[in-house]
Amino acid sequence: MSHESLLFLLMLGAFAAGSFALRLPVSLSMMLASVAAMLASGNGLGVRHLVEGTFGYVDTMLVIATAMVFMRAVQESGALDAITGIVIRRFGRRPAALLPMLMLVAMFPGMITGSSSASVLTAGAVVAPALMLLGLPRETAGAFIAIAGILGMVAPPVNIPAMIIGGGIDMPFVGFGAPLALLTFPLAIAFSWALGAGKARPVDPAAAGTGPGEELYRRYGPRLFLPVLLVVALMVLGKAAPSAFGLGLPVTFLIGAAAACLAGRRFNALAAAKAAIGDALPVLGILAGVGMFIQTMTLTGVRGFVVVGALSVPPALLFAAIALTMPLFGAVSSFGAASVLGVPFLLALLGRDQVIAASALSLVAALGDFMPPTALSAMFAAQVVGVERYSLVLRKLLVPSLVVVLWALAFIGFSTSIRGFL
Amino acid sequence: MIERHHASAAAVCAVALAAAAVAAASFSAHRAPDVLVPGAGVTEVRMLSDWFPGLDGTPGDTEVYVLRGAEPGGSMLVLGGTHPNEPAGYVAAALLVEDARVARGALYVVPRANASGFTHNDPQEGAPTGFSFPLPDGSTRTFTYGSRATNPVHQWPDPEVYIHASSGQSLSGNETRNLNRAYPGREDGTLTERVAYGITRLIVGEGIDVTVDLHEASPEYPVVDAMVAHERAMPLASNTVLGLELQGIGMSLEPSPKNLRGLSHRELGDATDTLAVLFESCNPSQGRLRGRTDEALVVEGKDPYYLRAAALGRLYVPFDEGGVPLAERVGRHLASIAELAFSMGMESEDEGLELSGVPGYDEISELGVGAFLSPAPEAGS
Repeated sequence: MSHESLLFLLMLGAFAAGSFALRLPVSLSMMLASVAAMLASGNGLGVRHLVEGTFGYVDTMLVIATAMVFMRAVQESGALDAITGIVIRRFGRRPAALLPMLMLVAMFPGMITGSSSASVLTAGAVVAPALMLLGLPRETAGAFIAIAGILGMVAPPVNIPAMIIGGGIDMPFVGFGAPLALLTFPLAIAFSWALGAGKARPVDPAAAGTGPGEELYRRYGPRLFLPVLLVVALMVLGKAAPSAFGLGLPVTFLIGAAAACLAGRRFNALAAAKAAIGDALPVLGILAGVGMFIQTMTLTGVRGFVVVGALSVPPALLFAAIALTMPLFGAVSSFGAASVLGVPFLLALLGRDQVIAASALSLVAALGDFMPPTALSAMFAAQVVGVERYSLVLRKLLVPSLVVVLWALAFIGFSTSIRGFL
Repeated sequence: MIERHHASAAAVCAVALAAAAVAAASFSAHRAPDVLVPGAGVTEVRMLSDWFPGLDGTPGDTEVYVLRGAEPGGSMLVLGGTHPNEPAGYVAAALLVEDARVARGALYVVPRANASGFTHNDPQEGAPTGFSFPLPDGSTRTFTYGSRATNPVHQWPDPEVYIHASSGQSLSGNETRNLNRAYPGREDGTLTERVAYGITRLIVGEGIDVTVDLHEASPEYPVVDAMVAHERAMPLASNTVLGLELQGIGMSLEPSPKNLRGLSHRELGDATDTLAVLFESCNPSQGRLRGRTDEALVVEGKDPYYLRAAALGRLYVPFDEGGVPLAERVGRHLASIAELAFSMGMESEDEGLELSGVPGYDEISELGVGAFLSPAPEAGS
């Protein structure tokens, strides 16, 4: 066995020991695994490397923390209850039409920001109560908004994994719109029906218990929705006119949170912000731990061992390697999977339509957001629908994930024919 | 009495602060610029802000070494350190500053084109902060290994999507700090765009005939051991590649893609009269397939995982047990610059650039980089 393979086993063993034997949080277990590999590889404690690794997620942490504050503020203001009440009154009797609509709404923030977390924590939280009122169990509703998160992240116009993969071979992000739309929107509609099948039923608004929400709307009027609309408007303007409105997501969310303090029901803003950050802390800790873990893997050569191992499969098994290794590596980060594995896989797929292949690889990479221990999309979705253990949401995502992988591989396999069709 | 959870919180904070102090000391040390020793050929040391005052006092300002010959002739600008994690370009530029002499024409050298990028490493890349060469007198010279991009301490935050200003092309947000996606730059843009603008002003102000941007690429990248040329620079580049082939140095020639914007060979060629080319040598320490990342990998270029990848047919360059040493990569850049200067004279006698003292490919491969570096000046001298 190579030195790097032994180090990899040591990292996995230390992580498992930290999580299960010592019952440490995931974040600390990842730090423990990193420190163990640092020491075993002769790098000492590697403090500089451990700190440097966490820097890779500073921006992501800010987005998540501020998105959580925004959502808590919107919830406290009563806007979520009001939206649910109105949606159910207008469309509750037609679930077959409502489900795809809710899926597209839940995807929207991801489409314009490229972040699945932004989708799940904003529009996902808006549509989740309506999904549950339609009859979807909490776990299924969580799966619904989690899948909307990753499909939104991949759908055009913004797909950061595809940009990362393209950037690795100097391919501009041009001509991706149609392939990405074809990759994501049919899946989105199919999943919305599949997840609702047998569960969603027409809802009588009078019996749905949405009265308090509608009462809030009668009291405060449309201004209740201004914070959400403001955030959506700032996101869109940030893309359309970045020089004037390119505030970045954290500032956008904080503006939305401030607006929510004035838009509806009064609440203690400081207490809400503290509670939101308290909810976000475990995930922020995991991101810091993951940063250390990746830096250690790269420094010690474990990353090379994993990547070359994935590329060592015979050409006939290349598709299987893509299907397995990219989502698995996504456990540390879907953007990381796009960069570390997506670029070499795209190079191994030379001869196929590169834009379509890169689009499909970005979809497989995005599945990393379902992979524990980070599983950002699934974890936030569980939080939004009030499910204690996110593994219950993950179970509902198994079949959709398999379909996503097969769909993406079909795009790679038939990329030339699909190009002709486009 | 202090409650138990308060005591444990205080202990965690103390450990975190200690770790922050250790890391901060390392990050601060990384910001100290290397000392280059200008050779007898250097006639003037200027700053990029001389051509674009908007950079004065910013972390983007950087030295421009001018080597002017006694006779008038052509002019060449060499950019090293556009990507400070591609060390061959930086070291080749440093050797020009320390060793080259110009008899005819003028050579402008910017060893640290993205000076800010030298002050940090890319997170999660596990890169060393520097690498050293032994000198014949027993001393060593250390050079900084930096990041592909401007330090976020100097330019932050990144947008989710970077939109290249003059073309509107979209790239992932972190490319907003990539100097070689920022050309021709903007006077009132980000720090990276202002550095690009400064370089464009230098080219226009000095009427630079030929601009060379020195880079490295990973062995699995298709454009490696290659010269990329703007269409107007193609005849000059073709002659240069032919001359290199005659010396036994294999080099492919690639046209600058018209649809990939912000790069030096595209934008400087379009926005100015200069003939813009870019060189890529093979750097295993920046690739995704590499094993252990350390100073030895940077300098010796040996890697067991690239060896395996070569056997699998996944690379675009030959890769054996000998690896691709930094000395060989630096030699490749210097030989290409010398050949390019020679070809300038073939194109037009008035635009000739006569260089001497530039270490040759074979001698630098054999003797190592240290043999051609001057000892560092004593501290305080």
